[in-house]
Amino acid sequence: MRSPAASLAIEAREVAKTFRSGWLRPRLTEALRGVTLEVPRGAIVGILGPNGAGKTTFLSILATLLIPDRGSARVLGLDVVHDSLPLRQRINMASGRPSFLWSLRVAEIVGFYGRLYGISGAALRARVDALIEEYELTEYRRVPYNELSTGLKQRVALAKALINDPELLFLDEPTLGLDPDVSVRVRAHIAALRRERGVTIVLTTHYMREAEELCDEVAFIKAGRILDKGTPDELKRRIGLGDVIALRLEPAAPSWLTAAPGVLRCTTDGDWTKCTVDDAEKRLPDLLRQLFAEGITVRNVRVREPELEEVFVELAR
Amino acid sequence: MSWRADALAIWAVVVRNALMASRNVFFFFELLFWPIVGVVSIGLMTRFLGLSGPQASFVLVGTIALSVVNVCQLDVAYAVLMDVWSKSIKHQFLAPIGIRHLSVGSWLVGMVRGAVLFALLAALGWWAFGFRVFAPGGAAVAAFLAGCFLNAWIVGVLVCALITLFGNRAESFAWASVNLVLVLAGIYYPVSVLPGPAAAVARAIPLTYFLDAYRSHFGFASEFTAPIATGLALAVVYAIVAHLAFYACVQRARRTGLLLKMSE
Repeated sequence: MRSPAASLAIEAREVAKTFRSGWLRPRLTEALRGVTLEVPRGAIVGILGPNGAGKTTFLSILATLLIPDRGSARVLGLDVVHDSLPLRQRINMASGRPSFLWSLRVAEIVGFYGRLYGISGAALRARVDALIEEYELTEYRRVPYNELSTGLKQRVALAKALINDPELLFLDEPTLGLDPDVSVRVRAHIAALRRERGVTIVLTTHYMREAEELCDEVAFIKAGRILDKGTPDELKRRIGLGDVIALRLEPAAPSWLTAAPGVLRCTTDGDWTKCTVDDAEKRLPDLLRQLFAEGITVRNVRVREPELEEVFVELAR
Repeated sequence: MSWRADALAIWAVVVRNALMASRNVFFFFELLFWPIVGVVSIGLMTRFLGLSGPQASFVLVGTIALSVVNVCQLDVAYAVLMDVWSKSIKHQFLAPIGIRHLSVGSWLVGMVRGAVLFALLAALGWWAFGFRVFAPGGAAVAAFLAGCFLNAWIVGVLVCALITLFGNRAESFAWASVNLVLVLAGIYYPVSVLPGPAAAVARAIPLTYFLDAYRSHFGFASEFTAPIATGLALAVVYAIVAHLAFYACVQRARRTGLLLKMSE
């Protein structure tokens, strides 16, 4: 049986990082102030937060590009500081602002990184071909990098990030600046990576919809601290945002509505009475039954679940 | 890391640098234009000044050495510079490789380009000025080139270290560093003409000894005993120091976040 630690892809404890800038008058920027996070193997976990929250810093520490000042982090059971070389063989990273050598062609870029990861000969050619095909880059394989569009560059970055068949993939704002149709395709690729290859994925984003669509768990980070973490549904419940049941009633809403079981609050917006409830699926039948029993006509009903964005706004306050 | 993985990582850097070099007009200028301009102008100056055959050889050996060291050290510096320019340096340091793969791979390309340049300049020197670079024989030429390449490796790795320490601001070192060698290693004059402290510094530069040894084949008495052995010993010490400095600077860049900044 696997130990709990073995089932974790990432175990970060109280990771802290402060950047110093300036020679004469050094300025200190606390990027991370003790971040603790566990990521199970095979999960897709999103790290959300505003600009400057510490998302990229945290990801870079986990990817061995940065050394933390304090705390510890183990990735795939290896320490990110002391076992960085063997760890790098098993992880990879792609960012939303990809950049590679300008005059290398697509196949050459993927091939170069393949060799760095110890792949050669026929195996390298097959791997490069497969990734180029998978990311629909076949017609661009001989095109220099600086002649590619942003979306194509992003796909090259993803192909490069998979060259070593990583067990864990870090994606730093993978759909940043992409057209909506390209974003949808990139997200589909990310979802397929976990589904088909079982890759653990940690991604940063400030697109809430992306996190909601892709992630099993989400961690909100602000000013270098994780404010909350859980599944999108758990977070919504924990924050107490609840579902909104909007009703058009005739005559007006009865006074007992605000005190009905499960109703958190009610507001009026024109003809509509908006009741925030803990669980719409559970509460709606009882509310309707009571309203009918009192002879109140329900002209229209709308149910809306809260979005992750609202959780974020709430947490960021 | 296995020998095979080591060789493959070095080969990856060789292929990358060779491809980049073959597609960049700037690299062509580096390899041919400036070195040829240098040899032609210095050769004509020796004629104008009416220098004797051995004196002209003395100066032309220095000119050719400077060009070879410059081209090779720039290639070594490209191990980091090209990734800094393209903002892709983090991908390189995310891969399971060490700095030795970067520096050695780039150095191999630098040596090939340096050897090609040496042959071209030798042909030009013979055709235009009757200067026979290969006259001392294969062993002497090989020792001289080895000295140039070792010096280039040391300078190039130190430039890489400075870039990872100070960021893009330090890239001018890549072009400026070789001029220090020009002044101190006796490119156009024997180091004995340097003032005391500068001569002491010159004696600490390995290239000084390789130049001295090669010039002895053109009729100049050697200023040092066992110059090649001394030059090699110094070069090995500096190579180790340069490598450790580069490693320390990369580790520092991982701590300060400069590695990430250079990728943004």
